[in-house]
Amino acid sequence: MGNKGIGMKLTTKFTLWYFGIMLVVLLIGGAIVYYEIQWKISRVEVVRHERLNDIIAGQIRAGGDFTGHPTRKRAIVSQIPADSVPKGVQTFYTRGIDWNPEFQTNEYRLLVTSFYTINGEHYRVTTYSFIPSFYQLLPGVVDSFKWILLVLLILVVISAGLISKYILAPFKRTLRVIQYFDLKQKAPIRLAATRTSEFRELNEFLEKMTEKAREDYQSLKEFTENASHELQTPTAIIRGKLDLLMESDIRDEQAILIAEMQNALERLSRIHSSLTLLTKLENREYEADAKVCISQLTRVTLDSFEELIQLKSLRLMTAVEEKVYVPMHPSLADLLLANLVSNAIRHNVPPGAGGVAGGGAAAGEGAGVAGGQGMDCGPAGPGGVGDQ
Amino acid sequence: MKVLIIEDNQELARNIHDFLGREGYICESSETLEAAREKLSLFQYDCILLDIGLPDGNGIGLLNLIRSEYKNSNVLIISAKNALDDKIIGLEKGADDYITKPFHLAELHARIRAVYRRKNLDGTSVVAFNEISLNTDTFEARVGEVLLDTTPKEFDLLLYFLVNKNRVLSRQAIAAHLWGDYTDNLANFDFVYQHVKNLRRKISQAGGMDYIGTVYGLGYKFNSHKQG
Repeated sequence: MGNKGIGMKLTTKFTLWYFGIMLVVLLIGGAIVYYEIQWKISRVEVVRHERLNDIIAGQIRAGGDFTGHPTRKRAIVSQIPADSVPKGVQTFYTRGIDWNPEFQTNEYRLLVTSFYTINGEHYRVTTYSFIPSFYQLLPGVVDSFKWILLVLLILVVISAGLISKYILAPFKRTLRVIQYFDLKQKAPIRLAATRTSEFRELNEFLEKMTEKAREDYQSLKEFTENASHELQTPTAIIRGKLDLLMESDIRDEQAILIAEMQNALERLSRIHSSLTLLTKLENREYEADAKVCISQLTRVTLDSFEELIQLKSLRLMTAVEEKVYVPMHPSLADLLLANLVSNAIRHNVPPGAGGVAGGGAAAGEGAGVAGGQGMDCGPAGPGGVGDQ
Repeated sequence: MKVLIIEDNQELARNIHDFLGREGYICESSETLEAAREKLSLFQYDCILLDIGLPDGNGIGLLNLIRSEYKNSNVLIISAKNALDDKIIGLEKGADDYITKPFHLAELHARIRAVYRRKNLDGTSVVAFNEISLNTDTFEARVGEVLLDTTPKEFDLLLYFLVNKNRVLSRQAIAAHLWGDYTDNLANFDFVYQHVKNLRRKISQAGGMDYIGTVYGLGYKFNSHKQG
């Protein structure tokens, strides 16, 4: 579920970004199209009217009465004095809203005015026509862009799905492999080949990093084991030599020295095995791979400590529920219980009392208390066994 | 008893050699798997002490060979690793027992004897010395005909003394033997003292000789030469 969520997020982000960019592009494009059409329409009309004005000028030049001729339907021809002729301009046009008597409505009107000099006389020819308003064009432009936007949106959403499915597939596979990566696994991780260079780089990096992590873990583990081996062997030798020395002919003061060495050696060995245990715990070598029957184990542990309890004149009260299973490494469970019980005994003072209660909740979780009275010593609070 | 010590550390091998030698055992040592294989093909051994980590390979491999070719030999694995995997594999492959470094020589001896008893005594599992006899099947201890009322730990302790007669047993060794590796043996010295005291009292009350004596500063000793 997790990796799917991340993947969707990525494509959703891409989609949103594309959509945003599309929107901006379409808005700008819409404006450009709108002004372009507007300009083109005017331009075409102006050219038509210039031609019409030229035809009217030709009629004037030819002479005769052309009133009522179709060319004069929307034309105003007037003779003007020479000083009214603008310099350097032969034609100009103006646009504006004006009354259209044919349609009885205000419409957009284009006026094109040309100046001619015919037989020494100056003429001004103005023709006009009503053209579609640009405002009337706007909805059409907006409409067509709406459709374009819709088509693009559908395509983007579909392509986002396809990208997610095909292009991001190697990435998702990599994510899945990484999620199941375990430092303790024997073989290096295998990532599917991909032609996407970024993913290839990512995969190469991940393969290198996980391999390094795995090797580091292995060498740490080996170091721990070797350290254990290297240290335990000399300790074993010294202990053996002391055992042998004890049996030789020694004086009392030598015996004391040997005893002190033995004690120190005992401590050394104990510290060392604690350190090794801690390292192993940190390396997670004691993963719970099976369920341990804590009830059975508790009884066995208590049996082995029974005499110590009697020797210290302690009273033991037990309430151990049957068949409580706890997911735990068997040797850790053993160690835990032995330590709990032996601590409870050691820190108790006679005549004290100790209680061991173990119960299982419905889910099979164990709860346990090992406590002592006299001197307060509850190494494990309620639920201690189950929680640790 | 003939013992083959397969251990790459010469000092440790010599310790075992010296200790067991005093018990009258015939010990031979080999430092490599190769040498061990050769010795095994030439001689027969009652007990093989096998170190797991050897310079030319893992001792577990040799265990397979021993179990298929030399079935009568007991195998006791010596390991420094204390790794559960080794322990389980070792016992599954047919090792008779497993001991972790650093061990007390008396403990090693007790283990060798226990394994030997289990396999070689043709049904009689009685360890006896003079008037004291221990039945390791029924956990009954007797002085003469009198049945001693011993606790399991006291029985264990007496057996430990009997196997290691005339040896000085340090309190550490006794604590480690009775309560194993996990518990803090230093803290259990008082209990060792009390167990020994109770045991001596029970033997005396049953009319037995008080063989167990204190060795100044060091621990205890089962003195077989003691005369009433």
